[in-house]
Amino acid sequence: MALASILRNASRVQAGALPRFFFKPASVAVNRNFSSSLCPNYATFNKNSNLNLGLFVPHSKILIAPQARMMSGDHSRLWPIEKALSVSLLVLVPAAIASPHFILDNLLAVAAVAHFHWGLEAVVIDYARPIVVGNVLAKLALFLLYIISATTLGGLIYYNVNEDGIGQTIRQFWAIKGSGKEKTADSSGSEKK
Amino acid sequence: MATFFRLGSRQVLNHFLRNEKVGMLSLVRPVTLKAQPACPPKEMGHDERNMKLGRPQSPHLTIYAPQLTSMLSISHRATGMILAGYTIMWGLGAVVLPDSISCYLEDLAAANVSSILLCGTKFMLAFPMTYHFWNGIRHLMWDMGLFLTLKEVYATGYVMLILALGSAIALVSM
Ligand code: HEM
Repeated sequence: MALASILRNASRVQAGALPRFFFKPASVAVNRNFSSSLCPNYATFNKNSNLNLGLFVPHSKILIAPQARMMSGDHSRLWPIEKALSVSLLVLVPAAIASPHFILDNLLAVAAVAHFHWGLEAVVIDYARPIVVGNVLAKLALFLLYIISATTLGGLIYYNVNEDGIGQTIRQFWAIKGSGKEKTADSSGSEKK
Repeated sequence: MATFFRLGSRQVLNHFLRNEKVGMLSLVRPVTLKAQPACPPKEMGHDERNMKLGRPQSPHLTIYAPQLTSMLSISHRATGMILAGYTIMWGLGAVVLPDSISCYLEDLAAANVSSILLCGTKFMLAFPMTYHFWNGIRHLMWDMGLFLTLKEVYATGYVMLILALGSAIALVSM
């Protein structure tokens, strides 16, 4: 009983604490079908809440709390951050190319790497599943991704600090015209991208 | 019916229970009911279960008709991965390459390669970006709960395709 009321409160707190940026998480968590096969607390849970003994109500609010997820941790707090990051990219990508600037270049580097890291993490988790490729390879793939993302971030910041910077380089490449058109490549400043 | 039972139950029940000859009570054994937590169902993941049942991957890609929805969805992932690939190559190249990238770009400008080749390269760089950009907006709209009917999903899909192609071509021709 005590456990039941704790769990009930926990789920309420969890639901209330869902961070809302400018995004409403569109009813992701609430209507989940409780899957008892994934619940490690099943036995303890039933033993301690004599109220519910034998009475398993799939949509009860109490039962959402002890749900075990296949992924690690609670994603509901990271989710709005990922979305805010995507919105920031929406601004940063055009801005860094339109008006190259040291700060914009580095903001873009951090935002892009964080964004593609989480994106590729989702890809790896989707395809390199332990049941398909084995536990070791699944772990190794994620580990490799961390290495790659970290190295890329380091490389891009190194590039921004010691070389031309992301925005300027894209402009420089875009200013190159081939042999077909008789346009000279010297007007790199006047190109829009 | 109910009255019949109410009247009947007292007398008939007493008769059957206590009468030594019909003697129901003599058949009764003491039984203890013990409450036990239910056995947790055997843990089996989605994949494991489907593999055991010999089910094919869902959607069954070799027989399932391609649709705009699924194709745009997988291309968002594809373009994201392509962009990530470009970014990773850039980040690693900045560290690994012996010269600075702008040196290579100067060489490229001096080489005066055909404009078709250059435009093709620019398109390969620009289109994944414009596609992922416009479709990213579409995704973010969905995340806010907008444009989620099937009709709107198709309409925004076509609009996004036009915007992505159009802006990629515009960028290449700059
Ligand atoms: C320009 C603005 C951008 C926007 C608005 C944007 C938006 C998004 C969104 C909303 C998703 C999640 C899709 C989903 O919910 O399944 C996503 C995924 C992804 N993005 Fe971006 N993105 C942008 C730029 C980039 C860049 C520059 C890169 C690479 C460096 C990138 C790489 C990825 C990857 C790898 C994924 C994961 C694909 C998947 O999980 O299916 N994105 N993007």
